[in-house]
Formats: sequence, C-alpha cells, structure tokens
Amino acid sequence: MAEQKITIKPKESFKIPVDGYIIGPDNMAGKSADDINEMETWHGNQVVNLGALFEITVDGSAGPEDTTITLEGDFSRVKRIGSGMGNGKLIVNGDVDMHCGAVMMGGSLIVNGNADSWAGREMKGGELIIEGDAGDYVGSAYRGETVGMKGGKIIVKGNVGDYVGEHLGGGEIEVGGDAGILAGVNMIGGSITIEGNADLPGAEMTNGTVTVKGEVEMLPSFRFEGTESVGSVELRKYTGDLAVRGTGKGTLYVK
Amino acid sequence: MSLLIKNGIVYDPINNIEGEKMDIFVSDGKIASDAKDAKEIDVNGKLVLPGGVEGHTHIAGGKVNAGRIMRPEDSRRGAEPRSKLTRAYSGCSVPNVYATGYRYAKMGYTFLMEAAMPPMAARHTHEELIEIPIVDKGAMPVLDNHWMTMECVKDGDMDKLTAYIAWMLKATKGFGIKIVNPGGVEAWAWGKNVSDLHDRVPNFDVSPAEILKGLSVANERLNLPHSIHVHCNRIGSPGNSETTLETYGLLSDVKNDDRQVMHATHTQFHGYGGENWGDFCSKADEIAKYVNSHNNLTIDLGVVMFCDTTTMTGDGPHEFNLYRLTRRKWSNHDVELEVGSGVVPFVYGPKIPPHAIMWAVGIELPLLIDDPWKVMMTTDNPNGCPFTFYPQIFAQLMSKKKREAMLEEVHPVVNSHAILPSIDRELDWNDIAIMTRGAPARLLGIDKHGKGHLGIGADADIAIYDIAPKEVDPAMDYKSIERAFSYTAYTIKSGEIVCKDNEVVAVPKGKTFYVDPEIDDSVMDTMLPDLKDKFKECYSINMANYPVQDAYLPNPYKISTKGT
Repeated sequence: MAEQKITIKPKESFKIPVDGYIIGPDNMAGKSADDINEMETWHGNQVVNLGALFEITVDGSAGPEDTTITLEGDFSRVKRIGSGMGNGKLIVNGDVDMHCGAVMMGGSLIVNGNADSWAGREMKGGELIIEGDAGDYVGSAYRGETVGMKGGKIIVKGNVGDYVGEHLGGGEIEVGGDAGILAGVNMIGGSITIEGNADLPGAEMTNGTVTVKGEVEMLPSFRFEGTESVGSVELRKYTGDLAVRGTGKGTLYVK
Repeated sequence: MSLLIKNGIVYDPINNIEGEKMDIFVSDGKIASDAKDAKEIDVNGKLVLPGGVEGHTHIAGGKVNAGRIMRPEDSRRGAEPRSKLTRAYSGCSVPNVYATGYRYAKMGYTFLMEAAMPPMAARHTHEELIEIPIVDKGAMPVLDNHWMTMECVKDGDMDKLTAYIAWMLKATKGFGIKIVNPGGVEAWAWGKNVSDLHDRVPNFDVSPAEILKGLSVANERLNLPHSIHVHCNRIGSPGNSETTLETYGLLSDVKNDDRQVMHATHTQFHGYGGENWGDFCSKADEIAKYVNSHNNLTIDLGVVMFCDTTTMTGDGPHEFNLYRLTRRKWSNHDVELEVGSGVVPFVYGPKIPPHAIMWAVGIELPLLIDDPWKVMMTTDNPNGCPFTFYPQIFAQLMSKKKREAMLEEVHPVVNSHAILPSIDRELDWNDIAIMTRGAPARLLGIDKHGKGHLGIGADADIAIYDIAPKEVDPAMDYKSIERAFSYTAYTIKSGEIVCKDNEVVAVPKGKTFYVDPEIDDSVMDTMLPDLKDKFKECYSINMANYPVQDAYLPNPYKISTKGT
C-alpha cells in the first residue's frame, strides 16, 4: 500500500504568527516537496510560500488517508494547524498555537506538546490528542455561535483552561488533568470527562453529560438524583442546569 | 465619460418601455440622446433595467450596529478580504457598510432608503451612509412616538405639528415621515403596548389613529415627495390584518393627485388571520382586495425567506415578543423622548408552521395585487431575509414551477392556511422592473429627481443582467432567473461602470437625498419655544447640538418643498 510521509520543520523561530490552515493531509497528499514549497499562506499580513518558512521533505506519494505529516520543532506561533482536516494523520512534535484542529472532520491529529486556546473548536469528526496542556475553549463554539463541537473526540492529557466544551453539541472531550471555570457552559449534547478538578461545570447546560472526578465547586442550580457507579468510582448524579427554562436535561456527575 | 449601450432589451416602466431593443447613450453621468466619443458596450439582447431602487431597508444606524455588535457569528459569514479597490467585507444579515454597498451594487441596485432613523441617532446614521460606497441613499426619521408629536396631536394643533415635523426633517437631514407602531413604542417605555388603533397611549391620552391622521396632515401640508411611511400596529401577531385594514381605512378620504397618501410597509408582517399561533393563517387576499380597490395606498412586501437573519425594528415590544420565542439574544434601546428599538437574531425554518405561512404571505401579496405600481419589492432587509435573497424571490414570483418546488420543502400547513398553492399568476419582466425600479422611485417621489428610469436627463444608473429576456422563459427556466439576478454583467452608477461580472471595478461616493421643507416663519416661530422647553427639560442633549451639520452629507441632494 502506498504511503506518503511529509516532514515539516520551521526555518526560524516565528515572532509574527503564521497561518497554518493549509498544513494537513488533505491539502498536501500526493504533492511533491516542490509543490508544497510553493503553496501559499499568510505570515502576518504577507502572503508567503511555505518553502520560505519551512524545511519540507517528502517521502512517497499517496492519498490523504495514507498520508502522515510530522511537524518537528516549535509551532507555537503557527495557528490553525490541521484546520478542517478530514483524513490521514498529522503529528506535531512541539507546541501549537490557537485553533489547532478547528472544524476537523476526520483523521487523527496528535500534538506531542501544549496547545493554545480554541483547540478542536467546532470540530465535527476525527480524533485530536494533546499530550500536554490546552488553553481555553477546547472543543467550543466560536464567538456568538450556538453550537460548538458536534462530533469526534478530543483527549487532553494535561490541564485545560476555561470554558472547555462551551456550547458542546456532540462528541467526546476527555481531560486528564484539571479544568478551569465553566466546563461545558451552555452545552446541548455530547460528553466531557474531567479526571481532575473543575469549577462551576455545566452552567446553563440543557443536555449532554459532564463528569468531574476531582474536586468540584458546584453551581446551586442542579438537582441531586442519587449516587451512581461510573467506571470504578461512585459519583453523585445531578441534573440541570435548572436556571435555563427549568428543563434540566443535562447530567452532571461529581465526586 | 460617455457610454453607448447597444442592443439591450430595455424595460423602463416609467417611460413605458417594455422589452424594446434599443441603444442608450450616457453622457456626463446622465442618460442622453447622443454622446460623443462614447465607449461602446454591445450587450446583444441582454436585459437592461434602470438601477434598482430599494425603498425600505435597514442598512445604517444604531439598530444595525447593535446587530453587528451582538452577532459576531454573523460577521464570520460572507467575510472577504480587502482588495486594491474594495474594503474588507463582513457579515450576512448585518454586513458592514462596505459589504452593503458592494453587494447591492453587484445586484444592480443604485438607490437605498434606510427606513428607520431615530432622530437622535441621525448623525450616526449619516456617518454610516457616508461610508456605504457606490449607491445613492436617504434615510427616513421615525417621528410618530415623539412627545412633541403626541402633544400636538392631543391639542389638535396641526400648525405646530407641521412645524415640528419640518424642524425634525431639517435637523435630521431626513427624507420623509416614518411611523413605527404609533403609540406602541412610547407605551413600551412603560412595559406596555397598544392593543389596537383606538387604545390610549399612556400619559399622552392620544390614540394610534389620531397620531396617524395628524402626521398625514403634516405630511400633506409640507408637500413631501413621499407619503407617510407606516409600520402598522400589532406587527407579527395572529389576526393583525384587522388592524392593518382599519389603518388603511383611516385615510380613505384623503387624496393627493400626485401620489399615494399612505405607504404601508412590510405588509407581509401585517397580513395575518387567526386568533393564536394554532390557527394562524394568511389574510393576503383581504389586504390585496383593499389595495386593489383603493388608489391612495401603496405597500411594500417584507418577504420572508428561510434563513438565519437578524430582526431589527423601532417596534420595541415586538422584538421583546420575538426574544421570548427565541431566548437567544436581545437588544433593546430607548431613545429618550423619541423612539425605541429592538434587535433579535431569528431563524425562519421551512418546517415551522407560522414561518411557512409568513413566507407564503410575502409571495402571495404581489401575486394578488393587480397593479404592480402599488407594490415595492422589499424584504424589509434584514427582517424578512437579507436583500441577497432577491434573486430567489423574483424566481418565485415569475415561476409557478419554482413555487411548487418550494412548497414541497415547506410545512404542509401552507396548503390549508395560506393561499399560495392556488395562485397561478406568474409575473413578467416588466412587473419585476416596476416593483424594483419604477414603483419604488415613483412612490418615494424620486422619479422626478432622475431615479428609477432611463429617460433623457435621468441619472445614468443602469443595471445590465446576463440574461436574454426574449429567449428565456422565466416560468420554466427559473434557475437562470436566480443566477442572472444574483449579479449584473454591468452596473453603471452616474455613468460610471462600477461593477462588472460580479466584480466591483469602481467605488464612487453616492449622494444622500434629503428633503428640506419650507414653511412660514410665523408657524415655525410659534412652535420653537415649546421645542426649546422640551430640550431644556427633557433631552440629554442641547438643542443647538442636535441638528446634523452639512459636513455629514458630503454629497447632498436636496429636495426642497414648499409647505402651506
């Protein structure tokens, strides 16, 4: 089976942000190193060729589903990496800037480092794994929208910032560490599991499930429903948020 | 620059030209009978219309800006980067000012009337109008819920009312008298609304009917080019057609030889029967029956299309009702002793029975009204839908086949609670030209000022569409109607080619039309002391700082009228 391996390394440490929306298997599969060098993106307010910013090597040629892209080095000022990707594999050995994996449809995106805010924002499918920490708004909606992530899976091994899964509509988010305030705020579906601590989870949720296994500061607008075993632990089950039209179809499990 | 547009199929209803193949000369920004050294454009059988006239739209001022601020998600849609010539676009239902100008111009529109300018926010409105590129524009101040207006009406002092309206039109550089839920918006300041035309407005002891009649008197005494422009009471409620028809009847004995005496706006939102949302139904037939049998009333449509849009109106209580339905976002403004307003994002869904009926009413009205000269095409942008839906609306009016395709997509309640499925009429090119060019220009009274037609001496505002009306059957080939009206092959504004094949190629500044009514100094002088007192006692702004300075109209077009 044909495979394509692409490796991309920054030529410099970027101070001005680079738009990395074009970095992904769907855009790069089947292309030669020269082709990829000539692809255009934004560096600040300038349009530049990828070749001017990155060292690019290509091995083999295949369709997007059989393409693996490895980003080596510091991508902490490269935004929107893997944005909208639908197939294949994208591995980042380093940190990434905001909007990594935004509107992702499929495939697998692995960040062996930390991600800035908006990781997996409005994601629809696929798998996003962040080995380190992630910033605010993981898997959320964008400003003003009413639905965030709708499908797929996000795993953050470290901590996340505030508003993880804001307006979550579907899919799963797993957080290995702690979450900031208002996890799952306004969520209408899907599930968020937080292994560590969280403050005020599930505010204004109307559906879906939030599970917090560490220490939690609860909102008062949830109704206690009894205890339940979730996996190997006994958790208290609440429904809410009753502050929104009193419907309370959301489920909140806490220690 | 001179132009010669050759071999176009021209529809110019004001000059009784209906699909004639002819050449048009343009010289010095005007339509001419001849032109020297003209650049030739051979359009070879394509549709040539006067520039479109949008008679009622919300494009500038506080409400639109509130919509922009509260809807970042709308800004994301339709975003385009700047080019060497054009500024960056953003927004769909509440676009930025640049997108508004470019998109209208690309669709062949060259004149826009902002339909609700709160007088206190006139300066802001004009600031935005300045920045809307290419097109000419004007704005109608909302004048009905003013404390001064209602006090004059209560006292029956028509001299004073006329003077006050004249002062306000001058101060706001406004175009005409806009009326929004008369009495109801003042009542909303107390958390109430008016229930019908004869309800009393809290603290003022006047009724909506009295306000309407009073303002009509002032309008006629000032000889304004346009009639009163009325957003009736009880917008959007089941059974409101009774109030609408009663409002029409208020002025049934008033006559004006030159034009209508009342223009009822976004009539779709006022043409409902039923007592609640369960038996909500279309009363387009009754509205049309009235319009067909009376010659002193005209309407515009306010067509609803299924989309995510932003509703905005001076009708504060109505927006609160919408907010209670949507529970999303709501902005409410109170403009001191003048007006109010509200903004609520709204999604019209084809499977939601009331929305499907609203859509049907908007399409039924122009098909049931016999004389297209009584109808302005509007979507009450963006309340019914953004103006970019016009091509789809034209296709529905011109093709029953298109309507049948739509009917399959919408809730079947339309079959029992609306009239649309039984209507066979299909409008022709001339009807569309009338409703989008001739009628709005004539009803606004700007046809005499070179708008909405292609007669010699008229402003050379021309829209050329990439479709051959003699070769295409719109009833069958509705898809080509939709495509052709989406953007012009050429839009020409004041003799300059501004858009070509969906590209903006020039960005001239348009003019702002305003009306300057002259009245007797003695009448004005009698009113001024009262107004000074109002400013001193009630307004947060000094009277001397209130009027919009000339600097806010860098390209003014003044229409002077002489009052009696």
